[in-house]
Amino acid sequence: MAQYLPVLALLVLAGLFAGLSFVASKIFAPRNPTAEKLAPYECGITPGRDLPERFPVRFYLVAMLFVIFDIEIVFLYPWAVNYQELGLFGLVSVLIFSALVFESFVYLISKGALDWGPLQVSRRQDPMRSADRTTASTVRRVGQDGRTVTVLDAGVAAEEAGSGVAA
Amino acid sequence: MSLLALGEPYLSDGVDLGDVVLTVVKVVVAFVVLLVSVMLMVWFERKVISRLQNRIGPNVAGPFGLLQTLADGMKLFFKEDLIPERSDRFVFQLAPYLSVVPAFLTFILVPIAGDFSDGKDGSVSIAGRQFFLQVADVPVGILFFLAMSSIGVYGVMLAGWSSGSKYPLLGSVRASAQAISYEAALGLSLASVLLISGTLSTNEIVQVQAGEGFRGIIPNWNLITTGFVPFGIFLIAGTAELNRPPFDMVEAEQELVGGFHTEYSSIRFAMFYLAEFMNTVTMSAIIVTLFFGGPAGPNFGVLPGWLWGFVWFFLKLLVFLFTFVWFRATLPRLRYDQLMDLGWKLLIPLALGWLMILAGIRVAQSGGFGITDSTQVDTGIVLVVGLAIGVVAALLLSSAVRTSRQDRLHRHGLVEVAPVFELDGGAPAGEGHH
Amino acid sequence: MVDVIVFAVAGLIVLAGGLGVVLNSNPVRSALSLVASFFGVAVLFVLQEAHFLALVQIVVYAGAIVVLFLFVIMLLGVDEVEDLSIEPLSGQRIGGLLAGAALLVFLLGGLFLSGGDEGAVAVTGTESVTQPIDETQPNIDNLATDLFGRNVLAFEATALLLTIATVGAVVLVRNAGAEDLSVDEPGRADH
Repeated sequence: MAQYLPVLALLVLAGLFAGLSFVASKIFAPRNPTAEKLAPYECGITPGRDLPERFPVRFYLVAMLFVIFDIEIVFLYPWAVNYQELGLFGLVSVLIFSALVFESFVYLISKGALDWGPLQVSRRQDPMRSADRTTASTVRRVGQDGRTVTVLDAGVAAEEAGSGVAA
Repeated sequence: MSLLALGEPYLSDGVDLGDVVLTVVKVVVAFVVLLVSVMLMVWFERKVISRLQNRIGPNVAGPFGLLQTLADGMKLFFKEDLIPERSDRFVFQLAPYLSVVPAFLTFILVPIAGDFSDGKDGSVSIAGRQFFLQVADVPVGILFFLAMSSIGVYGVMLAGWSSGSKYPLLGSVRASAQAISYEAALGLSLASVLLISGTLSTNEIVQVQAGEGFRGIIPNWNLITTGFVPFGIFLIAGTAELNRPPFDMVEAEQELVGGFHTEYSSIRFAMFYLAEFMNTVTMSAIIVTLFFGGPAGPNFGVLPGWLWGFVWFFLKLLVFLFTFVWFRATLPRLRYDQLMDLGWKLLIPLALGWLMILAGIRVAQSGGFGITDSTQVDTGIVLVVGLAIGVVAALLLSSAVRTSRQDRLHRHGLVEVAPVFELDGGAPAGEGHH
Repeated sequence: MVDVIVFAVAGLIVLAGGLGVVLNSNPVRSALSLVASFFGVAVLFVLQEAHFLALVQIVVYAGAIVVLFLFVIMLLGVDEVEDLSIEPLSGQRIGGLLAGAALLVFLLGGLFLSGGDEGAVAVTGTESVTQPIDETQPNIDNLATDLFGRNVLAFEATALLLTIATVGAVVLVRNAGAEDLSVDEPGRADH
């Protein structure tokens, strides 16, 4: 138990350091609170919306998975330190254990518990978004009936239309 | 060896006054070293980043701007300390302690000097007392490291929750999910180190690594004996655990203002800052200890043996401190879903699989399988079978990812379409950027 | 002497933590009290030279399980101060008191009525009931030989238990109305 004496000593020292710093700040720092300063931070404007009440349930599933892996880790350590003495028997029992844990991990993933981002979908081929659609083909020029339309630079027009689609 | 496994020699039996004095000296030295190293680390980071960005960086306070951190820290004492009206006052004031105290305590595990050459155990004798040049060699060292990093999560989590403000809350929920995710990867990659070292004590882990390596030239570092992959996982997971770039989702200033410490000011903020940099220094030191032999290294005479240990340790430490700064200067921040995917779907399965294959090979080498008469053939068989199982597991995982994706597409009435390649960009147009 | 002092202090922390869990009207503070209580228990384990168990207590219970609790508290938005005068389950308090008193009686009974050193279940104050801890060996080694020897079935059963817990969590989450785990799906309007 004496092995933990330095831990205790450092704990006390660190606590004292933090505590005394706070006391020093109490002494030196000005105290002039106003309603604006004490309001929740909102980039300088009056806070409008309230806090989010709920979070996605996936956070909970992550914590759950962490508990499972933490327990596995705690079981793995005694085996890892002594794997030589435990030999094949220990290896096989750890393998079975890991396979079971891995199985529930795969189950969780297949249920989408670890999908965080928005769904990454390739854009559907949409006739409204096509390189063929240029100002020349889509804009009907009013009052120009019967005249010949001179396109100044076909290449530039097509490129503009193209970048319009990409943006 | 087995008696030493129970910890430091000088504290093995009863404690007398001399032991207490020695303990106090050690603790005070460690405390001062930590504070000074944080001061220098902040300076180092700012200076290196400045240079990488073609700036000069702090250069006014003290020689080369060395005292800049001290000046900044002192300034914070004179800043108004605000406790937001909607906060939970008690928890708000408690959170900085929960952040800074574990940061101090983790350092006890690191052997910072000592002579490990020729099978020595790195201990030093003064006035008939034998002791290690580390604050405490607790019997279950590595678990202590994991315990402290899991307590550190509370500081961030409670700071954000108690602020009663939206950005801190969002930041802290993110941060704690990130921290626990990567802690699992951290713990699993550590298991490979334990497998090779056969002990939980950091001092003995260094002793094992100080032994003669392959052909007597290549050092016996765990980096090599565990096969590089656990080190890579540990480095990535460690960076994420520190909330350092490119994993600094916690304080992604473009979206969360300051993250969990948005509402903190004055010296309370300084405590979080201190803890963050202290953790960076300690994590680098832990990486050096676990994978790069800590203070072990050749002894060229002139200096006493334990001082050579310190020289080697310090040089190795500098490499990792620089690496962390380099990461920050080079890598753009990951998106949250990328971060979680990297941790869960790559690092954790990889760490687990690597550990199993490593253990299989080790058992085969010691003749544990007995499939054939030769252990070499056994090892080969185990390796092939292990890799095959690994491939099957990877396929299973990717099919799970696909199943989940199909489910989501189905729920939203979407069908998978082949990616459309735009003429100009050539990249598939994703939907994730709005 | 030192042992007694450490025991008393750790015991007080455990007790105070336990009372804090019950008496705090704010669930987050209750969870914090639980952490304090776990730390006290960890110190008690160290006192019994069970170093590995002590750290596991912190890593698993304080580091993972209470984090899970806190997530639930924060996720569901139940982190408001509760009115302790309302009894959600009628007769709950009296039942709790009775159960507590019964436990105390059993504990004290076990302490005073046990047959000294002879009985295997007697409270003797020795550090281990079945066999003394081998002082020359780190207890992680003892644990490993025991866990992967006699108790290997229990070890594997734990994995099964964890699997059940996972499935249970998913089922519960789905039944809670959110059949879609990904509630915040952006970009739906585009398609």
